[in-house]
Amino acid sequence: MFAERLADAIGADAVKTAPEDLAVYAFDAYSESAVPRAVALPASARDVAAIVRIARECGEPIVARGAGTGLCGGAIPARGGVVVSFARMNRMLELDVRNRRARVQPGLINLDLSKNVATAGLFYAPDPSSQKACTIGGNIGTNAGGPHCLTYGTTVNHVLGLEVVDERGEVYTTSLGDSGYDLTGALVGSEGTLGIVTSAWVRLLRVPEATRVWVATFADVEAASEAVSAIVGHGIVPTALEMMDGLMIRTVEAAFHSGFPTDAEALLLIENAGYEDDMDACEHAIEKICKETGALTWRAAKSQAERDGLWAARKGAFGAAGRIAPNTYLQDVVVPRTKLPQMLRLVDDAAAKHELTIGNVFHAGDGNLHPLIMYDKRDKRQVASVVEVGDEILSAAVDLGGTISGEHGIGYEKRDTLARVYDDADLDTMLRLRDVFDASRHFNPDKIFPRGASCVEVRA
Amino acid sequence: MTGRATPADAEELAGLLAACDRERRAVAVEGGGTLAGMGAAVESAITIVTSKLNAMIAHERADLTASAQAGMTLHAFGKALAKAGQFVPLDAPVRKHATIGGTLAAGWGGPRRHLYGRPRDFVIGSGVALADGTIAKAGGMVVKNVTGYDMSKLYIGSFGTLGVLVSANFKTLPSPKAARAFHHPLPLGSRSRAIAQLQTMVATPAAAFWIEGFAKEIAGADADDGRLFVLMEGSEAFLDRATRDLRSALGRAGVPETHVVDAGAREAFERTCDAYVAVVADRSATFRSLGDPTDVEERALTMRAVAHRFELRADLLVDVMNGDAVLRVSDADANAFAAKIRIFDGALHDDIPVAQLLASGSAARPYLNAWGTPPPAIAAMRALKERFDPNGILNPGRFVGGI
Repeated sequence: MFAERLADAIGADAVKTAPEDLAVYAFDAYSESAVPRAVALPASARDVAAIVRIARECGEPIVARGAGTGLCGGAIPARGGVVVSFARMNRMLELDVRNRRARVQPGLINLDLSKNVATAGLFYAPDPSSQKACTIGGNIGTNAGGPHCLTYGTTVNHVLGLEVVDERGEVYTTSLGDSGYDLTGALVGSEGTLGIVTSAWVRLLRVPEATRVWVATFADVEAASEAVSAIVGHGIVPTALEMMDGLMIRTVEAAFHSGFPTDAEALLLIENAGYEDDMDACEHAIEKICKETGALTWRAAKSQAERDGLWAARKGAFGAAGRIAPNTYLQDVVVPRTKLPQMLRLVDDAAAKHELTIGNVFHAGDGNLHPLIMYDKRDKRQVASVVEVGDEILSAAVDLGGTISGEHGIGYEKRDTLARVYDDADLDTMLRLRDVFDASRHFNPDKIFPRGASCVEVRA
Repeated sequence: MTGRATPADAEELAGLLAACDRERRAVAVEGGGTLAGMGAAVESAITIVTSKLNAMIAHERADLTASAQAGMTLHAFGKALAKAGQFVPLDAPVRKHATIGGTLAAGWGGPRRHLYGRPRDFVIGSGVALADGTIAKAGGMVVKNVTGYDMSKLYIGSFGTLGVLVSANFKTLPSPKAARAFHHPLPLGSRSRAIAQLQTMVATPAAAFWIEGFAKEIAGADADDGRLFVLMEGSEAFLDRATRDLRSALGRAGVPETHVVDAGAREAFERTCDAYVAVVADRSATFRSLGDPTDVEERALTMRAVAHRFELRADLLVDVMNGDAVLRVSDADANAFAAKIRIFDGALHDDIPVAQLLASGSAARPYLNAWGTPPPAIAAMRALKERFDPNGILNPGRFVGGI
């Protein structure tokens, strides 16, 4: 009945109910899954509005989905219902070169946006490692980051306005240029729990006139962390400041042959972009700091091709880990930048205690770690240990004044850990916001909030 | 409970709110009072002033983060950060009195936001006292954070109608090494081309204005003639190049001369920021239109034309990088001003639907449309207000749509 009504509203070819189709939409990049009752492929905001109205009437949850690259189960239809896939709403609708702005549909692939606007000398700054596959809509859901957040900020800093379908199935718009509450800011990062975004106005940046990329290697992650602190402390905030530990250097080198010295135990990939006038001074300063903090090698990329190659290696690091472990689990935590060495030691200790291997490739400049836990899912002991290690890492980050997600989101995975960061009063303010936009909890239920949080809420 | 209360800390402030909430008493909230002229006037028995919440809570220099109480002035905050060679681009008027809480509550985006970002982009966490006296935190002290909803975004720009900010955490930036400011007399026929050059030049100005009038407030050029004021920030090497580029770009547009401001580029910039809310006794009103940089000249001219239609004096301050057009109308005669301002207000909003009131003489204010046409999502905004402040005690009526 539900699926038939959807098909009547948006067309039979836009609704899928065959078990083999539903199975595809049961997963994202997280380990758990749940099968939806239907999958809808809208072509317009009007289609989305119809889907929301019908789902509400039928009491079915609504889960928006981009490319399913999310690592926290944000796109899993935890309570069934309809998965709304934006595969058919994947275009750039408008480009305003003079005002450096584009209007895009949520299904547009992140990298395609930058490719679309490159001829105008513009680019879209947030660049998650999955940017070849992930979509702008998904990025908005999680407030996605990427290596270049250090200078440019995360998705929320680049969204100027939204077109949204609300819980009644009505379409409205928000804009930073409007008077009133910053609904745009509140909706970005809300993981599909406050409405369904059907298009977005995004800010584009001019491609900088100069970009340089450098690689420094170190004998240990402590020395590399010291270099990170010294660079930032010196008043230089490069566009990217990425770290890799020894295990990941060797893994990436085996896959990409980037010329990384395989005997190093830490590597910094540093990029700075800006005015040509500043580049030599910047390069000298960073090189001097790296050498003073014990860099074993120093390399400046000489061409665009070399820069691209280094970035391809960095962004392909997690994929490359498949060469050394049958299964991997990627964690995402943030600590104040100066706490990096401490945090890395805690990660190491946790790995040793549980006899697991953990690799680290992460956004050092932001204090955003991505411990990559390697395991074999056929080994029950290892699986249990992975869960424990992951949990210990979250607690360690919170204890150091950090938080449990920097860019991947809370989703299904971390909802019960949210209460380690926020107390009841803090969570209650979030639930007030939820009440206004999704009183009936039809949008992406069982996400973000600790189990039971919405039930214990006492209404005045 | 009436009059002005200056709570000593967040807990006392929250206690006052709870008491007022129980008694259904309206509360006006004030920081430095510098943007008190924005929005509609609030009728309340009690005004809570955050001036005693003025301490730096933490400045983690090496982490490039800082946390301060809401009543700290921008001047004091800026001075403390500058000692470590850092800053947060909060370019609100009257920095000496403007507070962090007030600037954020007003969502004040300054003239350098196209380059560095808006204040909201620098807030990584906040503390807020809600109407019922609850103190809640949002975010944290890390520069990247997607842990639950980003509630700070909702409080920033809410004019204290959802809660009272008691503290804010920021990511800071290394201060630009140097700054240079330029005044250019602007020949009439060059204006459009000059604005286009400023908007597109590669060496991006930190701020750029087309100014007419404001002669008393902004020094540098003669009285009512149109002029440009440009601020460049960066390394000395960049500033030398930017100076050359600016001269050649404006030269191409037909702007013949460039005067480097001798006495302090930043001071000149701050005076320009102050002009946004500078009033002429009790006979002026200042409106701002936000929009695209590409049509800012047209909007400014439209606004000026409406002023001239009513024979009001028009001072213009146009942020060409961000697309903000600010018009101050005034009259030498107080009675004449009083007679004209209400119909001017109606006519302005006919032509510029979203014109926000920034400052005004107090007599005129109750009659002015402070926000223009309500935004499309006004219903959701009203629902938010109802959910956060069910008794409607926080700054009632000040905000858009009567919120």
